[in-house]
Amino acid sequence: MERKRSRADIISDMLLMIQQKGGKIKPTHLMYKANLSHKQMKLYLDELEKSKLIIKSSVEEANGKKSKENSKEKNVIEITKKGRDLLIKYNQMREFEKTFGL
Amino acid sequence: MKIVFTPEWFLGTDVMIELFSFIILFLFFIFSYKSYKITKNKKSLYLGWGFLLIAIAEIATILTKVVLYYDMSFTRHIGEMILTYNVVKSVDFFYELGFFLHKFFTLLGLYFIYRLPMKEKSSSDALLIVFFLLISSLVSTTIYYLFHVTSLILLSLIFIEYYGVYKKNKSKNTKMFLIAIGLLAFSSILFIMSSLAAVYVSGQFIQLIAYIVLLVLIIGILNSSKELKKH
Repeated sequence: MERKRSRADIISDMLLMIQQKGGKIKPTHLMYKANLSHKQMKLYLDELEKSKLIIKSSVEEANGKKSKENSKEKNVIEITKKGRDLLIKYNQMREFEKTFGL
Repeated sequence: MKIVFTPEWFLGTDVMIELFSFIILFLFFIFSYKSYKITKNKKSLYLGWGFLLIAIAEIATILTKVVLYYDMSFTRHIGEMILTYNVVKSVDFFYELGFFLHKFFTLLGLYFIYRLPMKEKSSSDALLIVFFLLISSLVSTTIYYLFHVTSLILLSLIFIEYYGVYKKNKSKNTKMFLIAIGLLAFSSILFIMSSLAAVYVSGQFIQLIAYIVLLVLIIGILNSSKELKKH
């Protein structure tokens, strides 16, 4: 049986998803990919933003072939350098734990 | 009775090897502690304690040997005092205490590492084992090879326990750890025959190789996030 994900596991999974998407991801994509409920994700995102591991920003998304006037603002979540560094450290620690079967 | 088995031409080199071992062990402690801070996994902290105890053991032997090999004023001072019984006794006590701490902390640290992957742990059993480790370290001041025999037993048990871990995770890093433990066990066999200078020196070199393997293991763990760094 798979063990329950810890808080640190969830945070690292979220950061990993963002990183794998090139550093930016839409909130809904992240919610599905990280396997979280809307409520859980909101809590985690607030925490990550507070710790400066991510930033919430908005990008203009062109709507088909239509003009600039029709473009829509979309919210995206971006990983910061601090977030990337933490993800690397977390991965190293996970490898360390795996080595010793912890 | 001989205090150390190091041949004259090897004096100092053994201290360098022990210093290198200390650095590697301390790095493992830092790694374990950092891992605990990030993942909050208490087992990481206990593993760190194991490495720290062996690192302290190395420091104990380094300090004792440095005084023994290099502190001329200390030795001259004793010579000038026309070696009264009490002075000789206190000097002996210093060396014996230093080497006793080395032995006891090494065995305790190895026991911590051995116990970690075990599922069922009884604290009364652990207390009894610690008592036997203490006895073994004390008796080793007269029967020197008892410490190496005890180390060999503990290292063999660690090898068996972590081989179980390796069978589950098939990690090359765990394999590397097993190689290092195997080499340390082999060096313990050689140290049992420390009265032969060549065998003692070979044991020291095998120990050095074991710690180099552990250094490679640290580098391997650090490089495990290479892919993430590329993004």
